[in-house]
Amino acid sequence: MSPEGVGKDRVPHCGQNIEKGHNYEYLSLSELQPASCLILIAKVVVRGLLRSGKGEDMLLVRRCMWLWYDWRAAAIADDEGTILDDEQWDGFLDQRSVVARLECIAAGGLTPEARTLLERFPDALPRVHGESDLPQADWPLPSQKAQQAVDQAAIAMATLGVAQAAGDPDRRLEHLMRASDEMRSTFITMEARLVEWVGLFLPEARFGADRSALGKTVSEAESLEHLSKTLDVSMPPVGPGKSEWKSLKEWGQSVSVFRGQLDRLENAIRNLSEQHLPSLSALLGPLLAARLCVEAHGRMRLARLPAGTLQVLGAEKAFFNHLKTGAPPPKHGHIFMHPWISRSPRWVRGKISRTVAAKASIAAKIDAFEGEPWGEQEMRELEQKVEDIRQAHSSPPSRRG
Amino acid sequence: MARGNNRRRSMLSWAVMKDGRTLWTLNAVPKTTVYGESLRNFSGTEFRRWDPTRSKLGAALVRTRRAPELLLPEEGTTVLYLGAGHGTSISHLHDHLCGAENDLSGRLVAVDLAPRCLRELTHMAKSRPGLVPVLGDARKHAAWGVLLPRKVNWLFQDVAQAGQVDIFIAACRRFLERNGTGLLSLKAASERWTGEGEEALFTSVEQTLESSGFEVEERIELAGYEDNHVLFAVRKLE
Repeated sequence: MSPEGVGKDRVPHCGQNIEKGHNYEYLSLSELQPASCLILIAKVVVRGLLRSGKGEDMLLVRRCMWLWYDWRAAAIADDEGTILDDEQWDGFLDQRSVVARLECIAAGGLTPEARTLLERFPDALPRVHGESDLPQADWPLPSQKAQQAVDQAAIAMATLGVAQAAGDPDRRLEHLMRASDEMRSTFITMEARLVEWVGLFLPEARFGADRSALGKTVSEAESLEHLSKTLDVSMPPVGPGKSEWKSLKEWGQSVSVFRGQLDRLENAIRNLSEQHLPSLSALLGPLLAARLCVEAHGRMRLARLPAGTLQVLGAEKAFFNHLKTGAPPPKHGHIFMHPWISRSPRWVRGKISRTVAAKASIAAKIDAFEGEPWGEQEMRELEQKVEDIRQAHSSPPSRRG
Repeated sequence: MARGNNRRRSMLSWAVMKDGRTLWTLNAVPKTTVYGESLRNFSGTEFRRWDPTRSKLGAALVRTRRAPELLLPEEGTTVLYLGAGHGTSISHLHDHLCGAENDLSGRLVAVDLAPRCLRELTHMAKSRPGLVPVLGDARKHAAWGVLLPRKVNWLFQDVAQAGQVDIFIAACRRFLERNGTGLLSLKAASERWTGEGEEALFTSVEQTLESSGFEVEERIELAGYEDNHVLFAVRKLE
């Protein structure tokens, strides 16, 4: 059902649509429908006649033929399983052609041998090896040598499929997102320790809200004295030992390195998210769009979620508590990070998050099914709507209701 | 507790050994471990410990009330394994089925949907000829069915997804020979919760299997090794 090359489905494996990168033409089974339908109808009629006892002389009419094929051979047999004709391919030593044939069969196509036979017997019903309606027959099964060749090809196909999994933006986004989460939590702890550590030796130093340069300052200071001058505070009577100072300085270095890494990670998320989820990124910002996609386990799954689920994605604990105990349901999940919601008065947050989630759900569907992406204009429209809600409910609701 | 010399040591097959309560398989690739299991020499031959907490097949071999040999395929045959995972069970099965450098010319077709799992399996296939990893959906037979020109005598399924039984029945109909052994590892948590409990689910699965042309030979509870799991050993009648 999903369009080709979308989200998880982009990973080609032999169960899915595979890019047509080889020479075989595909002859889809649907093109054969009219002929095979007629034969099926004829078959049913003949069987009916046989059952009703009138069909002794009808046996002559019963001419249903089967075209059996696998990756290297094809054969024509009648209903009794007598082989009438077969065609075999002997070039199975070339791994690339074997892979191409396996892919062709996986995509529901016919092999060249099968097509040759179908030209000779246009009435035959093509069936790949193993299908249940084929009659019992002595099909030309592969030799041991051919079997080994196909095993090697299967391994090559699996290796290729694994390698192509790296092209899946959902998986890449997930690694980036989780890495950034882990790095952020480490960074915050380390930065807090740095502030405490420096504060122990320089009690007069005040860093206030802006700690961003502290890591760099500490890492660039040659000694505590140098640092105290940079921070413009007086030297304390007790200072750190030589190795102790070195550890402190290196801690400062790590903090400043981590800060840079974190910025680069988030930039990478922004870039990928804007490519992979253009509409949702335009609407909610790339970081929030990426988080929703990761939480939903992929773009395609995100697109299939209803707006109500998208609204509470990330608030699972509160949501299931609501289902279990009847507590009030959560109004917002990750979507709360958006300033339209987190910066709005408490009493309109639920209304706004409902509106935003509904639009975000449409945007996710546009992204997943690769439609015309939304941009600035749609974002402004939604912003206006959010503003209208705020205006309409400018004061908190009365408690007496 | 008397240990050591009093341990009962028995061979379940040419390569699988039961030593007291632990299982070992003759290592087809000497001196290498697959998932960090221990290696040990038993009178000159190296065996790998088969950890029943990591492998449902291993757990079933420990837990079964019948002869454990009945759960193993005949060596040197072709078998089908659906839901291969990271290859823990697969590696031991390969030891038994193929031996070093595939001396016994067995074939182990291992299907899994996840590229992450196949990464390990394709790596393992390099050192273990006879193992054929397939990246594909266990339900989409058309995609990989041509790899099995003949029906197999032994089929194992361990896919943790809803509709496990239907997948198993469909796979057995197409790939399992008459009188062949099918092993279904059923994860209760993957099925839709009916509110009647696990026991009811397992019983209903057993009935479904019986009515679909299988004889349920044994129902092995894996609780303790793998919670909420039961392994059904069935024989195909039709």
